[in-house]
Amino acid sequence: MEETRRTITHYERELQEIKQNLLYLGALAEKAIENVTASLLDRNSELARQVIEGDAEIDKLDTEIEEQCIRLMALRQPIARDLRFITTAIKLNGHLERIGDMAVNIAEKVLHLNEVPQLKPYIDLPRMAVIAREMIRGSLDAFVREECELANRIRRMDTEIDTLNEQIFRELLTFMLEDARTIHRALLIMQVSKNLERIADHAKGMADMVVYMVTGINVRHQWPGDTTDDICETKREES
Amino acid sequence: MKGRLFFKIFATYLAIAVLAIGIVGFLAGSQIRAKLEKQIELELMSYAGLVDLYPMKEIQSRVEEIARIARARVTVIDWEGKVIAETDKEAATLGSHLERPEIQEARVRGRGKTTRYSRTLKEDMIYVALPIRKGPEIVGYIRLARPLSDVRKTIEEFTAILLQSFLIILVSSVLVAFLFSRKLTTPIRDMEHFTERLRRGETPGTLMIRSSDEIGQLAENINYMVDELQKRIAALQEEKAKVEAAFSSALDGILILDHQGRIETVNRGMWTMIGERYRDLVGKTPLEAFRNLGLQKALDQYRSGGMPVSQEIELGEEDPVMLDVSITPVRGIDAAEGKTMLVFHDVTRLKKLERMRVDFVANVTHEIKTPLTAILGFVETLQEGAIEDRETAKRFLSTIARHAERLNRLVEDLLTISNIELGEMRFCFESVSLSGIVESVMNIIQVKARGKRIEIVSEIPEKLPLIRADRDRLSQVLINVLDNAVKFTPEGGKVTLASLPAGSNEVVVRITDTGIGVPKDEVSRLGERFYRVDKTRSRELGGTGLGLSIVKHLMTAHKGRIEIESQLGRGTTVSLYFPAA
Repeated sequence: MEETRRTITHYERELQEIKQNLLYLGALAEKAIENVTASLLDRNSELARQVIEGDAEIDKLDTEIEEQCIRLMALRQPIARDLRFITTAIKLNGHLERIGDMAVNIAEKVLHLNEVPQLKPYIDLPRMAVIAREMIRGSLDAFVREECELANRIRRMDTEIDTLNEQIFRELLTFMLEDARTIHRALLIMQVSKNLERIADHAKGMADMVVYMVTGINVRHQWPGDTTDDICETKREES
Repeated sequence: MKGRLFFKIFATYLAIAVLAIGIVGFLAGSQIRAKLEKQIELELMSYAGLVDLYPMKEIQSRVEEIARIARARVTVIDWEGKVIAETDKEAATLGSHLERPEIQEARVRGRGKTTRYSRTLKEDMIYVALPIRKGPEIVGYIRLARPLSDVRKTIEEFTAILLQSFLIILVSSVLVAFLFSRKLTTPIRDMEHFTERLRRGETPGTLMIRSSDEIGQLAENINYMVDELQKRIAALQEEKAKVEAAFSSALDGILILDHQGRIETVNRGMWTMIGERYRDLVGKTPLEAFRNLGLQKALDQYRSGGMPVSQEIELGEEDPVMLDVSITPVRGIDAAEGKTMLVFHDVTRLKKLERMRVDFVANVTHEIKTPLTAILGFVETLQEGAIEDRETAKRFLSTIARHAERLNRLVEDLLTISNIELGEMRFCFESVSLSGIVESVMNIIQVKARGKRIEIVSEIPEKLPLIRADRDRLSQVLINVLDNAVKFTPEGGKVTLASLPAGSNEVVVRITDTGIGVPKDEVSRLGERFYRVDKTRSRELGGTGLGLSIVKHLMTAHKGRIEIESQLGRGTTVSLYFPAA
């Protein structure tokens, strides 16, 4: 016990703190998505307003984490692994902050949607939300555990979201073609869907960064199908 | 180990021996030498004194003889220092001897003596000289000399004896050192093995050393210490086992966070509570492990305030558990300073019950309000003039009566339920024949069944084992079940009562209808208060939504149970299990 306590340096504690803060930010972002989905399904505008207000906390934490990272880089000059960790942390931070903003975008649309009769039962939207949350949580899990395989799996989940988004688009298109009065609502729903799809993109970006952090290989602009778990394997053999 | 101690003892012995022999050798050696020299000197001096009595000439001529008797070299010197006679050498070859110290001494003091190296003989010699007088005048000197080789020889012999004894001491000290060190180290080695076993955590037993010296005392102390230690360890282990048992068997979940806020210990209660939702908690921070905002906020609140925090949180994605978490510092143990304890209490059931209660109140209100609204509506219509129209008034009044009746039934059912739940219902248990009761119930139900052209068949044999039951309550159970069967069976249907051969200590009544049935996933919810599969229809049929709930309660009071099987559109089978009397 005594020994482990002594071996934790101040530097390491700072790294830990950044990690914890990122997890907290992730939890906040996840909660925002959960709440905004609930507010859409239950037509609960109060919850949507909470999401919009809650973004301030996300923004505050975003600034704090960024400052922590910059300070650490300036004062400690991290190298190798730690440097990759810090760069990844900065990137994840940015992604999570944008995810929070998108939850706010969705909340704004939900406020409009809740004032008009529901166009159709929402089936694919909550599914998208569930996948998006799973991707965020998975990316952060992979980040914490430094698991390349998990991150890679998360990256591939993005295609599911894209498929659902296109499905919603086609469905809403038929609504709009049949009845012009539905256009307003359909467009709002489409924006909700689009924002969820963007959230998933950010989550994928997070997973990309985790792969980079673990392996040092940049997979950001590669199609997830092209990269297999092999990258995780190859790097492991090297190290 | 043993070797080192052996050498220490050996070296000590040896050093003492060397020191003793050295001192003895030195002191005794010089003493012996002095004594021997003195003896030779005296001997020579007495010979010289005797010789001195003779006249010079006599001495000179009998030198050889003197030398033989005195076993010495004899020199006769005249007053000028010239050697006149000499036993060993030609007198002529010798120079003047007047300067020799012994001669000088003899001349001055009357006798002379020295011990010195003789260049002539190349040997240490003792010289003794006396003057030869003729009257008062010194005419010459007689000198006797004997080599010191005798003394040396004696000293050498003495040294040889010393060396011999030294060798003996050396050998015996090796032996003694060996024996002694073995005697000393054996118990020490025993103790060493003993303590080593103790260190490894084995039970070493008792140290067997029979000795009354310090080592024996030490062994005794060690034994006492081990005994005490084991007692204390046993006491500690027992204490620890108690604490651990309490810790692990506590139904509440307990997490202990270390100084860095990482999960250190998870008790079994915690695992039971969270089930498969989370894994690998140890070593993670709660945020990493649970990713739960509520929990993290509670922790943050605790950390910033330093005060114990209690909060309700929801854990898990699907099928979440509601937990009441209390966060407190771990106190009382120094080693645990800075640690945090999280105690989780599962309130999922409580929350569910709370919701049920709220639902119940809402349901009761609703159930009462529906007939009341109808009654009030009709009364109002009557007041507004419908009472004048006799026919309408009659119809309205019967409707009012019907609703009032339903209201009455509802209140009665509610009273029944609340009485059972409060345990205030009195049961009058006796040995009852099922067939008799079935018959009387059939009579009541037949009236209603006939109206719907439903056939009720009883296949219950006369001779069923008796059961312990309250006659009236048992009737109520059967009426409720049969009433449901008739109610939910379309016209022309059939309701069958049968008895099943069950275990010898159970009597089973099975009521099967050809009714509308219940969807599979709703079967389990039958018996919940106010639960209706088809709400509007049931109410139309005059149900209160409490019938089966009452049956369930009454069956429990009878120590029996109810089983329901159903197929949608095909019918329902209700099996009532009674314990035999």
